[in-house]
Amino acid sequence: MSAPATLDVGGLRKVFFPGTANEVVALNGIDLEVPAGQFVSIIGSNGSGKSTLLNAVAGTFPLSGGTITLGGRDVTKQAEHVRSRVIGRVFQDPRAGTAPSMTIEENLAISLLRSKRSGLRRGVTNRRREVMRAQLSRLHMGLEDRLKAGVNKLSGGQRQAMSLLMATIAEPSLLLLDEHTAALDPKVAATIMELTAAIVIERGLTTLMVTHNMELALRYGDRLIMMHGGRVVLDLDEQQKSTLEVGDLIEKFHEVAGEAFAVDRMLLE
Amino acid sequence: MQVIISSALEQGLIYCFMVLGVFLTFRVLDFPDLTVDGSLPLGAAVTGALIIGGHSPLLATAAGVGAGMCAGMVTGFLHLLLKSGESDSTNYGPKLLAGILTMTALYTVNLRIMGRSNIPLLGVDTIFEKLGNALSLTMIGWNVVLAVGALAIVVKYLLDWLLHTEFGLTLLATGDNEQMIRAMGTNTNFTRIVGLAIANGLVALTGSLVAQQQGFADVGMGLGTIVAGLAGVIMGEVIFGMRSISWVLFSVIGGSIVYRLLIAISLRLGIAPTDLKLLTAVLVVVALSIPTVRSKVVRL
Repeated sequence: MSAPATLDVGGLRKVFFPGTANEVVALNGIDLEVPAGQFVSIIGSNGSGKSTLLNAVAGTFPLSGGTITLGGRDVTKQAEHVRSRVIGRVFQDPRAGTAPSMTIEENLAISLLRSKRSGLRRGVTNRRREVMRAQLSRLHMGLEDRLKAGVNKLSGGQRQAMSLLMATIAEPSLLLLDEHTAALDPKVAATIMELTAAIVIERGLTTLMVTHNMELALRYGDRLIMMHGGRVVLDLDEQQKSTLEVGDLIEKFHEVAGEAFAVDRMLLE
Repeated sequence: MQVIISSALEQGLIYCFMVLGVFLTFRVLDFPDLTVDGSLPLGAAVTGALIIGGHSPLLATAAGVGAGMCAGMVTGFLHLLLKSGESDSTNYGPKLLAGILTMTALYTVNLRIMGRSNIPLLGVDTIFEKLGNALSLTMIGWNVVLAVGALAIVVKYLLDWLLHTEFGLTLLATGDNEQMIRAMGTNTNFTRIVGLAIANGLVALTGSLVAQQQGFADVGMGLGTIVAGLAGVIMGEVIFGMRSISWVLFSVIGGSIVYRLLIAISLRLGIAPTDLKLLTAVLVVVALSIPTVRSKVVRL
């Protein structure tokens, strides 16, 4: 178990396929300090680098430049699986966060072991089942009575709720949400978002949430960041963002980005 | 008839360790591992060479298993070298190539270990004779079935226990959803290598036992192991079902026995032994394509 930590990102750069015709500068010098317990929403159009930022923090690929500090520790060169012990992640695809052919209890056992070294003790114990039932009952999906059910029997919403629970059950220092409600139908998405906010606020988790949905970004979180072309182009605190509406946000974007804004999926929902 | 059944059971049980190994790689790790065609004769070669060299058959068998585990680790390390940086677990190219490379290299290694292409083990003490002497029994027919069957049950329960430990869960998840288990802080490179080591250790155990039971180790005895293993896995799953890990481990052992029974019957019906590999390949193709064909037929 670890406490929510401060995330400090400095001069972050990521160039994909450097030196080739396909060269893409995905992150072009990101400086970002997120105090412990802050809930940040990140918006931006396709290709703005918002998901790349999350993956960079998670350690999915080596950086082209810059540093990442988490809770005062430099994790820039730390392998993905080492960092993952203190970073919880939920992906867009509900299938990504759970192991489909394993049972609910086996999946949750794995998430309970996150920060520990997995040994040759029994994975699913009665003591762990107690914890699982208590946590699952908060989802109000009746999953606490189906511990031995295969995860592939669950709906997308149930699987995403499980993913969220698995990402947060071991009290991560940092929670990364990558459009985690985008693939769900609107009603289910709203439920998962409410659940997310409840967990994040209750545990005071340091959270980065990438979303396409401006309304979500305005409604949830203590801070809103807009990305464009691999840079942070707008950074609003809670007070500033509380006075804004979706229309203002689009206007702001025009001001900062200075080009026609691809409204695409952002206005929907 | 009784001879057919007892010899099929004997073969099925001796080969069930190999089939369990193939199950572990193909099904649990989602790693189609072709190392097995080389690690089976490796187990035989190491055991054969050590027994001929005057070592105890028990030590020789254990060493064969150890050598198989090393072969599995080599494949795991080769896979690390061959896969591109950003891991895509559904990219089977590097996995297949890693296994093929180890398998090919093992051909030379096996010849080097044996010093020739065939080591006869007649008139020397094998693990079966040792056991027979200890129990004052002649190790033929049903006695062999019982002895190997007991070992199969022990190995089955060991695997069952392992797959239910904390480490076992990470092993299962490595094959089921690698992205998820990495995000949960597990080094999947490590779990995969351990899984490959265990699987190839099991395959080498079969090689070692086959050599001691049929009385020779031969460099060509591994040919077609992967296909025979797959046939056993698929038959076990289809005939006996796969409701849980504990159950499917039994199913796979059952599949191994049914496969050897079918071979025994085929031979009895006058099919040439040399035609069996083609038949097995056809069998695997049919079994693997049934789901695809069925879904197409339903759609039409």
